[in-house]
Amino acid sequence: MSRLHDMGGRYGDGPIPIPRNKNNQVENGEPTFKHDWHAKAWAITLASGALGEWNLDVSRHYRECLPPKDYMNYSYYEKWLAGLTNLLVDKKLVSIEELKKFISLVQEDNSTKDLKENVKLDARTWLAKDVQKTLGWGGPSLRKTDITPLHKIGDCVITLKNNPNENVIGGHTRLPSYAMGCKGKIFSYNGTHVFPDKNAHGIGENPLPLYTVEFKASELWGLAAENGNDKIYLDLWEPYLKIKA
Amino acid sequence: MGINKENKSEYNNDHAHSHLPSDPELRVKAIETLLLNKGLIDPKTLDELIDTYENRIGPQNGAKVIAKAWVDENYKKRLLNDATSAIRELSYQGRQGENMVVVENTTDIHNVVVCTLCSCYPWPVLGIPPTWYKSDEYRSRTVREPRKVLSEFGLNIDSKIEIKVWDSTAELRYLVLPLRPDGTENMNEEQLSELVTRNSMIGTGLPEISK
Repeated sequence: MSRLHDMGGRYGDGPIPIPRNKNNQVENGEPTFKHDWHAKAWAITLASGALGEWNLDVSRHYRECLPPKDYMNYSYYEKWLAGLTNLLVDKKLVSIEELKKFISLVQEDNSTKDLKENVKLDARTWLAKDVQKTLGWGGPSLRKTDITPLHKIGDCVITLKNNPNENVIGGHTRLPSYAMGCKGKIFSYNGTHVFPDKNAHGIGENPLPLYTVEFKASELWGLAAENGNDKIYLDLWEPYLKIKA
Repeated sequence: MGINKENKSEYNNDHAHSHLPSDPELRVKAIETLLLNKGLIDPKTLDELIDTYENRIGPQNGAKVIAKAWVDENYKKRLLNDATSAIRELSYQGRQGENMVVVENTTDIHNVVVCTLCSCYPWPVLGIPPTWYKSDEYRSRTVREPRKVLSEFGLNIDSKIEIKVWDSTAELRYLVLPLRPDGTENMNEEQLSELVTRNSMIGTGLPEISK
């Protein structure tokens, strides 16, 4: 029912890869990007997103849709690159033939020969002079609507047991499987936010009430909980929740 | 509304990404060169983005927010009540921090932030997440065994202290307000901000008094 990215609570993962100094103390400082190609992969993904052909939910869904074998083999920015490549082709910004051609060119290490001298920028291209302005605005998901939230703070709710995405089988959702079919309590209300389950599939923003829901560790993990009274908080949209009977 | 079939790429075995070369550097180079050639990216934009997050946006921003909250009780109230606005007072705002929430550590509560589904992180105040935050190990284990995870960071949380784990499943971004260390009464805001580590604002560390 779930995809590999939905890994909260999974067993089998080892120690956290925490960088340490020579005295074995936790190292807080870490370069922003460990390799130049990390920085490039990240920046190209942001710049391609700014072309306006997809939204954040679509790009997340594309990474999640990588075949499980690739998802597990790829490092973080390799997933970004793979998701981006599929998006560029699916959204017809580049053709598969162009992609294959440039892959051959870089493998022969003469890619620059094919770069035209004065490339005319596409009208959609994100210009350097607009970078700070665009970053400062960001991409808010909060929308003003006249929707009245169904639940009040303190209400007991139960999350859906399966298939949270009502519109698309196997579609994008932000209800993790570890918190499906669980009892929780409304902790806060955050207004109406763009609904990823639809926005990731090009069927509109459909802003809906978003709550922060509190779960007791004992409810999520039963006897395996480290300390049953510890709490886990998730930000969940109204369709993920049923009123507790 | 009926249930739609998933988009085509879902079932298409001929994923475009499968054509990419095995060397990740060449993968980036192929895509970059192609997009440059088509005028879909401006190389100066890439430089500006990388420079911004390598040199201007990072945990030093969040540390200023925390230090201000430690010395200014009214600011702290605003921060806990409407973090987005309070953080914007220091000119930190925007991408991946559009809706901020600050959670306060007390003598009874320890907060820790994770994103189990991807790598959501408050960019305007902390920058780009560290590798461990994006790792499968941190994403899978933190919600189920936060105490074990924190102990790997050298934090042993007393069983009487309640742990609150915040899984960033929507577009709210969380920042932990750590406890002000004892013995810092004579320090000013700037000195205090030097004590605030990145990990202390995620919840996997404490401010470093010996620094």
